[in-house]
Amino acid sequence: MRLFKLTSATVFRRKTWAVCAFTVLALPFLLTRLSSGTENPALFKPALAQAAWAMTWLSTMFWGFFAAAKCGESLSRTGLGEYFQTTGVSATRQLLETWAAILLFVAPLGLGAALVCIVGASPAIPAERAMWIATNFQYALLFVLVVAPLLALAIAIASRFGSLTGFLVSSGLSAYGLYGVGYMKMLVSLEGNSLLSWIWSASPHYHFADPTERLRYKMGAIDWSQFPLLLAYFAGIALLYLAVSRLLFRTKAMA
Amino acid sequence: MAVKTPQLNLSSGLAIGYRSPLARTDQEIRLEPGTHFLIARNGRGKTTLLRTIARSLRHLAGDIEAQGQMQYLPEDLRFDAELPVHSLFRAMIPKARLQPALELAQRLELDLHKPYGKLSTGNRRKTGLIIAEFSLNPDEPNILLLDEPFSGLDARAREMFEDIWRASSDRILRLVSCHPDYDSMRMPSALLIHNETICHSREDGQTWSELKHQLN
Repeated sequence: MRLFKLTSATVFRRKTWAVCAFTVLALPFLLTRLSSGTENPALFKPALAQAAWAMTWLSTMFWGFFAAAKCGESLSRTGLGEYFQTTGVSATRQLLETWAAILLFVAPLGLGAALVCIVGASPAIPAERAMWIATNFQYALLFVLVVAPLLALAIAIASRFGSLTGFLVSSGLSAYGLYGVGYMKMLVSLEGNSLLSWIWSASPHYHFADPTERLRYKMGAIDWSQFPLLLAYFAGIALLYLAVSRLLFRTKAMA
Repeated sequence: MAVKTPQLNLSSGLAIGYRSPLARTDQEIRLEPGTHFLIARNGRGKTTLLRTIARSLRHLAGDIEAQGQMQYLPEDLRFDAELPVHSLFRAMIPKARLQPALELAQRLELDLHKPYGKLSTGNRRKTGLIIAEFSLNPDEPNILLLDEPFSGLDARAREMFEDIWRASSDRILRLVSCHPDYDSMRMPSALLIHNETICHSREDGQTWSELKHQLN
């Protein structure tokens, strides 16, 4: 587990994770004070929930994927990947250890957002509160399921093509899956093009993992009978991305 | 039967290189525990041979048989610039061997709290060498491949590492590539790459002075 320890020590030392932690845990409270939420107390809690998850996704896209890409590039270009490979640590294991180290810092961001929502924005009525907790738990789980394979992809692409490419591909995919797919659906409805329709179908629908609307309008938790299907859908994407990541991952840069 | 000592066998006809052979052995070479130097002029294949033995590169012909846990320390290995040396040691060296590693670092005058990126070339080399030496598994036979470990190292540090190598020569096989800088440097066992041929020269009183004429 030397590579895991080395990567987690490296990420910890850089301290940018602290900025993200502040962004997720404290900034939502500050932002709601600055916004017009103070004029209408009824808006405060939904605004806080929305801000918490928005900060989480932004932190992940701008810091999480970049940190993963930097580690992937570093492994192949500094001789570390080659060193570990000669000591018997396979490419698969190197990818897994690096990925696990980054996930250790990124996964808590989702848990942090859930915590902010539960502590700062829970409904007063006990029955609604229980549903609120369940909703946030579901979305924290979905967050990890969405982000984890994208982190692996960032590491793998960066090890082969550089950190910028790794970062752009992963953050681009996440942005597209969260927000771009909606626009693609509008385009499909307008154009009626079968290719566009196929692209929309094959796209990663990460918006299913975005709880903003559900929390803002207190729509309650995802039906527990439907939740496993959602988990299976994202697990399927995860398996595909992990397989692609393993194929792309390189322990040393080409000479 | 469990192997207790490390061993490295390079078959006759072993060819190393990338698209075309850079060098080959014309007879079998067998290396036993101890320190073996790898010497050649620039661009003749020292790093290529080390990487081939470490299985980081494929050999073009022949065979390599290695008995022991391998570790290859590239010349250009770099760690994260912001990590201080003590954090590197904690991550890379087993807990049981951490204290002796820290003590050696202090004897080598290596600043444990300085970020790796701010170390001089020589001190970075010391960091890598300490990690390599103290990552060795004492319960297994070990093969350590060191690419230009003396580059940038001062004479005192070099002597200290050579003392460590002499003390563990019965159970660790080290293959060390280097460009010797004094004629009297003792090299009782040396692999030479010359005229695209890899050969093994072994003699107790052998020094660089005798070997360099073969390379020139």
